[in-house]
Amino acid sequence: MARVIDARKSRLLLAALVVSHLIVISQQVDGGGGASLLERVIFDLLSPLQRGVATGLRGAQAAWTGYVDLRHVRQENARLEERLATMETDLDGERQRAGEAARLREMLDLKKALPLETVAAEVVARDGTPWFRTLTLDRGTAAGIALNAAVMSPTGVVGRVIALGPRAARVQLLLDRDSGVAVQIERSRATGVVSGQVGAESAAKTDLIMKYVSALADVAVGDQVLTSGLDRIYPKGLVVGRVRAIGPSAGLFKEVVVSPSARFDQVETVLVVRGGPEPVALSESVR
Amino acid sequence: MKLAWTAAALLVALLLQSTLGVLAPDHGWIVDPFLLVVVYCGLVGGETHGMLAGVAAGWVQDIHFGGPVAGLSALTKLLVGFGVGVAGNRFLIAGTAPRILTLFAAAAADAILFERLALVFEIPAGSLSALGFLGRAVANALVGAVLFEIVEMRFRRREVRL
Repeated sequence: MARVIDARKSRLLLAALVVSHLIVISQQVDGGGGASLLERVIFDLLSPLQRGVATGLRGAQAAWTGYVDLRHVRQENARLEERLATMETDLDGERQRAGEAARLREMLDLKKALPLETVAAEVVARDGTPWFRTLTLDRGTAAGIALNAAVMSPTGVVGRVIALGPRAARVQLLLDRDSGVAVQIERSRATGVVSGQVGAESAAKTDLIMKYVSALADVAVGDQVLTSGLDRIYPKGLVVGRVRAIGPSAGLFKEVVVSPSARFDQVETVLVVRGGPEPVALSESVR
Repeated sequence: MKLAWTAAALLVALLLQSTLGVLAPDHGWIVDPFLLVVVYCGLVGGETHGMLAGVAAGWVQDIHFGGPVAGLSALTKLLVGFGVGVAGNRFLIAGTAPRILTLFAAAAADAILFERLALVFEIPAGSLSALGFLGRAVANALVGAVLFEIVEMRFRRREVRL
């Protein structure tokens, strides 16, 4: 037993001595690159471990960086979406302003072209009921608007004022069945009265009807229809629309279908003739 | 006691090696007195004694006659001493012939180990030719056998006196 223990001790001693001698020798030997052999051996042994640790750390770092970047990307994405929404809103605003500027320019051009004093007004409400076709304006008597004053848009006649307040006015559109405008065909000077067709049973009709046109009158499809001024409401020469169709003659008259020039569904700003129509100066004998 | 006579033997080996180096500068390397001491310690004292004697002998040799790297002879002699000790414990190496064989094997192992270790550690060391290798092993075996016999005779006389 003692011999076995001695043998073990001597083997352990041998191992220790061998290792220590290897260390001593390798410390003295240049292993290349200025490092001792021991350093090189230890370096070679430990470098895979270090490489593994470094790789693991780099991987973890990359994963963490990716996670952080992803979070930043998400935040940035949210920020950019918010910014985009803001910019889209701004763009819409700019578009709206550009459109408004264009409309105002058209209005200004119209105002300059008209020989009458006019007031610009904004449309603030439309069609309260299905039986009538009306608009509500943000100007009223305070702005000098009077009852029956003609209302125009750059594209054509819109209607006339039928109700008034100090700061509001209701306009009856040409589309309304009860409206009426004295008109004439620009080319042939044939006259008539244009009114709308819209009522409770015909809410979708957007064409105007030119009535009281002589059966012999020279009217053709495409002719331009202008105000004649004979009704003393609408100034003479304003565009009402174009002839779209001509109906069959019924006795002395024939009906002409007119497409309105004014875009009633899009109109936002209008010009109202200030003061309204001039009262007809009737002679004493007529009275 | 072991330590004392081992130290004395190593001292004698140092003196002998130095003398051989002076007397026969070109052939002094043929007999390695330190190796003989190590083999004797291994045979007589066992593996531990053999390897410790090998370490001591090797370091002395390295310091006094070694090349640029100290410890190479020590490592070689350490292994040789251990091997001889193990062999001495396992086999009966008492007669002259077994001792000659052991010395021959030890000398051969010493040369081979030294050259291999030098090669492994990339230490610039000369290598023995086959004749040199064989001559060294034979010389050490014969000289060692004679010396061992002389030493043991002296010990036997001393024991008889006592």
